[in-house]
Amino acid sequence: MYPFWEVPFFTSGLVIALVATFHILPCHLATGAFWFNVYVERKAFYEKRPELLEFLKKYSLLILIFCFVIGSLSGVGIWYAATVASPRGISALIHNYVWGWATEWVFFIIEIATIYVYYYTLGRIDEKSHLTLGWVYAWAAWISMIIITGILAFMLSSGKWVETGGFFDGFFNETYWPQLFTRTALMFGIAGAYAVIVASTLKNKEVRLELVRTASIWGIGGMVLGAIFTFWYLFKLPEHAKDLAFGGTLPYLKSMLYVAAICYGVVLLWFVIFGLIRPSLSRPVIGIIILFILFAGIGAGEGFREGARRPYIIDRYMYGNQIIAYNIPAKNIKAEVPKFQKEGFWPNLYFKPDNLDLSKTKDRLLAGSVIVHHQCGNCHALDRLGKIRPLSVLLENLAPESPGDIADFLDALGDYPYMPPFAGNDKDKEAAAEYLFSIVRR
Amino acid sequence: MDLSVYLNSMRDAAGLPFYPIVFQVLLVLTFSVHIVMVNLVLGSSFLAVYEVSRKSEFGTRLSKALGRVITVGLSIAIVLGVAPLLFVQVIYDPFWYTATSLSAFWALMFLVVITLAFYSSYGFYLGNKKSSHGEMKARWAYVAIFFLLLTALFIHMLSMEQLTPEKWKAWIISKEGFVSFSGGEFHSVNLGRLLHFIIPSFAVTGVYLMLYASYFSEREDYDSNYLDYVAKRGANLALWASVLTVASGFWWLGTIPKDFSFAQNPFLIIGAVLGIITTAYLGAAYLSPGKRAKNAAILMFLTIFFMSCAREGLRMHYMNKVGYSIYNYPLNVDWPSTILFFATFIMGLFVLCFPAAAAFKAGKAHKGQVVIINPTIVRNSLYLMIAWFVVVAGLGIVISLKNGTLF
Repeated sequence: MYPFWEVPFFTSGLVIALVATFHILPCHLATGAFWFNVYVERKAFYEKRPELLEFLKKYSLLILIFCFVIGSLSGVGIWYAATVASPRGISALIHNYVWGWATEWVFFIIEIATIYVYYYTLGRIDEKSHLTLGWVYAWAAWISMIIITGILAFMLSSGKWVETGGFFDGFFNETYWPQLFTRTALMFGIAGAYAVIVASTLKNKEVRLELVRTASIWGIGGMVLGAIFTFWYLFKLPEHAKDLAFGGTLPYLKSMLYVAAICYGVVLLWFVIFGLIRPSLSRPVIGIIILFILFAGIGAGEGFREGARRPYIIDRYMYGNQIIAYNIPAKNIKAEVPKFQKEGFWPNLYFKPDNLDLSKTKDRLLAGSVIVHHQCGNCHALDRLGKIRPLSVLLENLAPESPGDIADFLDALGDYPYMPPFAGNDKDKEAAAEYLFSIVRR
Repeated sequence: MDLSVYLNSMRDAAGLPFYPIVFQVLLVLTFSVHIVMVNLVLGSSFLAVYEVSRKSEFGTRLSKALGRVITVGLSIAIVLGVAPLLFVQVIYDPFWYTATSLSAFWALMFLVVITLAFYSSYGFYLGNKKSSHGEMKARWAYVAIFFLLLTALFIHMLSMEQLTPEKWKAWIISKEGFVSFSGGEFHSVNLGRLLHFIIPSFAVTGVYLMLYASYFSEREDYDSNYLDYVAKRGANLALWASVLTVASGFWWLGTIPKDFSFAQNPFLIIGAVLGIITTAYLGAAYLSPGKRAKNAAILMFLTIFFMSCAREGLRMHYMNKVGYSIYNYPLNVDWPSTILFFATFIMGLFVLCFPAAAAFKAGKAHKGQVVIINPTIVRNSLYLMIAWFVVVAGLGIVISLKNGTLF
């Protein structure tokens, strides 16, 4: 195992979740914005309405400064966050999908080249070529979504990949199409929201009202279609995930869906009232508040996706603690739990003190700490004052009277549908139980 | 557990989807392009500050132009950097993931400082866009430089930590047996190597200025005296920075273990010879820098490319020392996804001809003039994108129907 990185109180998983959620705002804007932009530019071009160009300039500048700074960096940020929080997880994805990511990179290059040239050549190259630049950007950006959705969906439902190990068998999995349609619809919703904000700042009143209304229609379309496709997405979830979310095993997942629905409902209402019915009331500041609500909705939706795939980080293949769960003969991959249960987890670690004597209590506690960090620390806070699924509190609820009680609990871990089994032998379990007993809140 | 056993056992269980040499070549190639852009951004930031301090008319104009270079260049550098970041994780995963986990805090701080560098550079560019001669303020550029240097330091440290695996354990395990999970390790900084990455920034920026002067020389609305000023500044900067780069290279060379015999590395020798030729050429180019800009740029890129190859060779020395070689990485060759990438890559080069042609022609046109782009290039770029979509979506539908995953 790689060295473990502990984030006090909150777990490293939360770091990824925050960065990933934040990334969705600029990245969905980057993918959706230009469909609206080329729509407006077409109007300006074919209807001879140069007054619309002010919007194009402002909207493109927003995309440049927001998407190609915060968007690019938070995209790289997800990689870095995943690297430090779940190195074996991101490694598994990269080694299966490196060519997918490399393909996406080609489209990133096209995106960045076209957006800058688009912005700086407005009025400097012929109108038709400029409009086509916008189209090329729009396609490149959406294709980058088409690619990354395959990898994201693979984490939730790995499809036939577990049998064949084939790139496309994992890519075009059960939740791929519904996720692609939902995200595509949502990208129009997000692009619409930003477009309303930008349009609200235009000086020309007529253009302002017209574009606020038009952007709202795009936004409403995106949100409504997004809601419809979400039902398809939920229908296509793996049975295991459906059980967790709707079978009462993890009720918080349902609550997350409600939160997401309420947030998106508020955004939809804003489009209808401040965009469609009374566009003159539209103000940038209200739009920015709406973005925060959208952020909360996205966070809840992504939280649902991550929660529904428990106990895996990659459906059926890898547990949340980065231990391989499944034999994939097509790739010569063997599940690691049986190996660790036979050989022990401790002997297979490199980053551990070499001179511990596990017959001594003090040394067992040190070893137990390392084992527990690796096997539990990705999802559970281990500090006494931890906030995210704190083990000290969860174990307190079991009222253990001795380390033996906790060892029995570790034995039964695999019976919980959302927990990975304990991957170790009796010695590992004994050390882990003693350490866990020492951190129980009393 | 032995270090070599650890490193080899941490290779990803899925193996590589294609031959390691291909990833290695892509890694070096994309790194070379990325580092040129990084150098341009860093060098332009320093030069922009210097030109503001001169308070001359030409200096003001040049620093404004550099302000745009910094912002655009930083965006491009980050996107270009995605590829080497990806490929290094594919073939050097045990080193990359271990070093980054050990220094997790700094890896994330890298993102914070580069964001701050980005917005500071925008502060400099947008804040001075309308300021005239003598009114320019350099404070945001200073802030940008500070954060850019921090970024360079963090990335350098993460790279260097990968080369010292024999020290990893001692960093996080105390004598008492406590294991640190803080992710706060910061080790292995090599000033000679860091400078060997920073100083070429001035050489690259110098050559960029030569190209800039050459490119705009056909535009009547560009004062020829200004372009002459820029070209000479560029040639001068490139020349002296090249000399200093060679000096810092010797410093770095002195810190490399003798048993690597790195001075005999063929890529290093070619890179060094090219570096000397480039320096001599820049010396000769001083009298007519605009005319020699393209050749100087080609020579400089070749030098950087071969030095990047040498850097890769050096990495292999360090890794062979601890029993790791990428060439025996287990393989699970996946042809369909490999074809997907290379076909897309070639298509992407064709598509990029369109924005490149548009930028090139628009930049050469006089203010207010509207240029027409060849309609065939324009049309084909869009058709290629749509064709890509049709092929992949069709493939997806067929595979999904076959696997029963669509409905």
